[in-house]
Amino acid sequence: MASSPKTSSPKTSASKTSASTTSAPTSSATTSSASSFRQRPWVRWGAPLLLVAGLAVLPLVMTEGANDTLARIGVFAVAVLGLNVVMGYTGQVSLGQIFFLGLGAYVTAYGVQSGWNIVLVFVLTCLIPAVAGLVVALAAARLGGLAIAMVTIALPIVGVPLAKRLSDFTGGSQGLSARFVEAPEGSGLYDDQWQLYLVLVIGGIVFLMTSLLVRGKYGRAFAIVKGNENVASSMGISPYRYKVLAFTIASLIGGVSGFLYMVVVQYTSPETMSFGHSIELLVAMVIGGAGSIVGSLLGGAFYVIVPDVTNAIDPSLTALLQGALLLAVLFVLPGGLVSLPRALMRRLRRSPAGRGSAAPPTTPSSTPGSGTAAEQSETERQGHA
Amino acid sequence: MNRHSRSRKALGIAVASALAVTVTGCGNREDAGRSGDAAEGAPSPGITDDSVTLGITTPLSGATAGPGTCTVAGVTAYFGMKNAEGGIEFGDGQTRTVEIEALDDTYDPQQAAANYDQLKDEVFAMTAGLGTPTNRAWRDAAIADEVPQVLIMTGDPLFSDTEESPWQLGFVPIYQNEGEAFGELLASSSGNHRVAILSQNDDFGAGYVEGFKSAIEGADNIEIVDELTYEATDTSVDAQITELANSDADVFFNAMSVTPLVISSLQKAQQLGWTPNWFLPSNTSSPTAILEPGGAAAFPGIYSVSFSKAPQSPAFAQDEDVQTYLAALPQYGNYPDPPAFPHCQWSWMVGATLEQVFMEMEEPTRDSFMEALRGIEGFEAPLMLPDTSVSTTEDGQPAVSTVVVQKYNGRGYDTVESFE
Repeated sequence: MASSPKTSSPKTSASKTSASTTSAPTSSATTSSASSFRQRPWVRWGAPLLLVAGLAVLPLVMTEGANDTLARIGVFAVAVLGLNVVMGYTGQVSLGQIFFLGLGAYVTAYGVQSGWNIVLVFVLTCLIPAVAGLVVALAAARLGGLAIAMVTIALPIVGVPLAKRLSDFTGGSQGLSARFVEAPEGSGLYDDQWQLYLVLVIGGIVFLMTSLLVRGKYGRAFAIVKGNENVASSMGISPYRYKVLAFTIASLIGGVSGFLYMVVVQYTSPETMSFGHSIELLVAMVIGGAGSIVGSLLGGAFYVIVPDVTNAIDPSLTALLQGALLLAVLFVLPGGLVSLPRALMRRLRRSPAGRGSAAPPTTPSSTPGSGTAAEQSETERQGHA
Repeated sequence: MNRHSRSRKALGIAVASALAVTVTGCGNREDAGRSGDAAEGAPSPGITDDSVTLGITTPLSGATAGPGTCTVAGVTAYFGMKNAEGGIEFGDGQTRTVEIEALDDTYDPQQAAANYDQLKDEVFAMTAGLGTPTNRAWRDAAIADEVPQVLIMTGDPLFSDTEESPWQLGFVPIYQNEGEAFGELLASSSGNHRVAILSQNDDFGAGYVEGFKSAIEGADNIEIVDELTYEATDTSVDAQITELANSDADVFFNAMSVTPLVISSLQKAQQLGWTPNWFLPSNTSSPTAILEPGGAAAFPGIYSVSFSKAPQSPAFAQDEDVQTYLAALPQYGNYPDPPAFPHCQWSWMVGATLEQVFMEMEEPTRDSFMEALRGIEGFEAPLMLPDTSVSTTEDGQPAVSTVVVQKYNGRGYDTVESFE
């Protein structure tokens, strides 16, 4: 997030050349063999197949607790993904993502309680937050820069009292319960397995569509808007229009995550969209890796697992432990968890080259930065392909 | 371009195969030990012949951490003390120790539900957790899983409705109980009173006002001269206080749950020279945390309701219950400071009430536990004030539904019989 392509592209080329020229021949050999391995047709077809098959079997063999945790990770991974579209890929600071999650959750809860068809409820859960996001973005994107951040801060801050006041629709501060996801008769599935399948399928489709979006022409346009708005304008890409588009898509994805939230948690209240959670989502995005699809997944996992882990260590010190963990991760991996494999590879590659003893002081500063840069070059490269 | 279309095809096939695997996977039903499958009469989870484990999800960090920590400390201290004495003899003849498993939910409903999911197969019952949204978040799940969610710290009437909530029971009085108690005292006074009302614009404030109004209905000597609301998220109520001060009411009914706002209200009224008799809800009437910083001594009377003895009050300094409690809290409850919130005392009473239930419970099952729980009548738990008791037999009422009105005496509270 911190490094824009403007600054990163020279770095990228530098790191690339250094990787291929300065390091030992063995490492370049591994790189090329690894990439050719990835290019092989059976790998390109088989790996995703294997992944999907694994995900399809997983809910059946895991314990109920693991299923619940995985389902909640899915919910927040989708929310973080939405945030990534507007922040990670388009570079617009949004602090209001939780509002769209909350809005989606409320639309779902209200629709279910009113006995509407669940498909209609889902469509509304996508549409209403998207329209709300569009209206906000039409005004906010015109202001540009930090003004978008300011406007989006207002969303959860307005959202909480609004949810309390509109008690006819929201149930006031007592919230709304909607227990609508029960495994269909005859499927032989437990509720938690069915919930996880719903999250995997809906979340999977959202992830798939988003990754196609950010790798295609819209993704290129987002990247240019993020990099330099003047360049974008000169190329005939309207920064305003693409900012609005990115924000609307982020809101829509936020709405979908709200639907999934109701599938898994089955209850929403004004607390759901409190401002603190918005910041936690932002933290999760940065920790996972800004501008990265896999990073969104990792961010969702971070959002869900860390409170559970700190609870297991000492329930009375959760806030302190979370803060310490956040600092630790950002210090070691400023590029987010997604840069961890790259950082490890780099470290492994350097030590046999005989620079092992000198490496430690330079690694923390150079590795993570170039990690992000490489990540970005990856997207750009794919975009241009 | 070629690469692109290929990867798209790959994804399409991947999705199709996922669906195929899902459909075939549906056929076989594996028993992964889901809850609610236990055979009739078999012991429920979380209980053995020599111990029983209770679960709590409550805010231990964040804005409500103060009262939240208390909800764990009290009950932990109570059972810590009992365990040190050798345990509790249950109704089935076994003597068991009681373990507490507490998790932090930061007042986030989503985290509370997650904590419940984590605990439900390890604990015998869930108890003592603080918060309305955080308890509502997993209420339906607890009913479906048949896990007791009892003696919890919320004034939400839903949890005390046996029909709607068969596996739940609230502990503390519902909001209406408190408002009503003060209304009755006021209506019975001999003088005429003009009342100004400021309430939180949600079920909390509305509950208090509803109870108060029902009690003063038909009382000729009471007139409500002004009634305003504020939002729980407001950072200031100076405007409302100023407007209410103009009404020149001599009684101020302030149904407010936000600690800093209560303090600033007390200060603002003094600045304006408005010194009415003041009513505060039980959870925002702490002498040390609220009244002293708010300068409450300037008012002729600060009234609140209570059902627990205030450990700081000199009146109870020699009280045996209070001494036992104050000694156990740091020793077994991991709470070294003097209790700053009444939730510590309430939680201690929850422990005592649960002990009663355990002693009556004939089988080590959740069903038997609920049956015993609903049969307690007139139990005077330690730290309870005279004229209050735990009764679980009346539908629609929490375990404690009787409160007495008290008046601030500069350090603590004294029970009052009439309003002067």
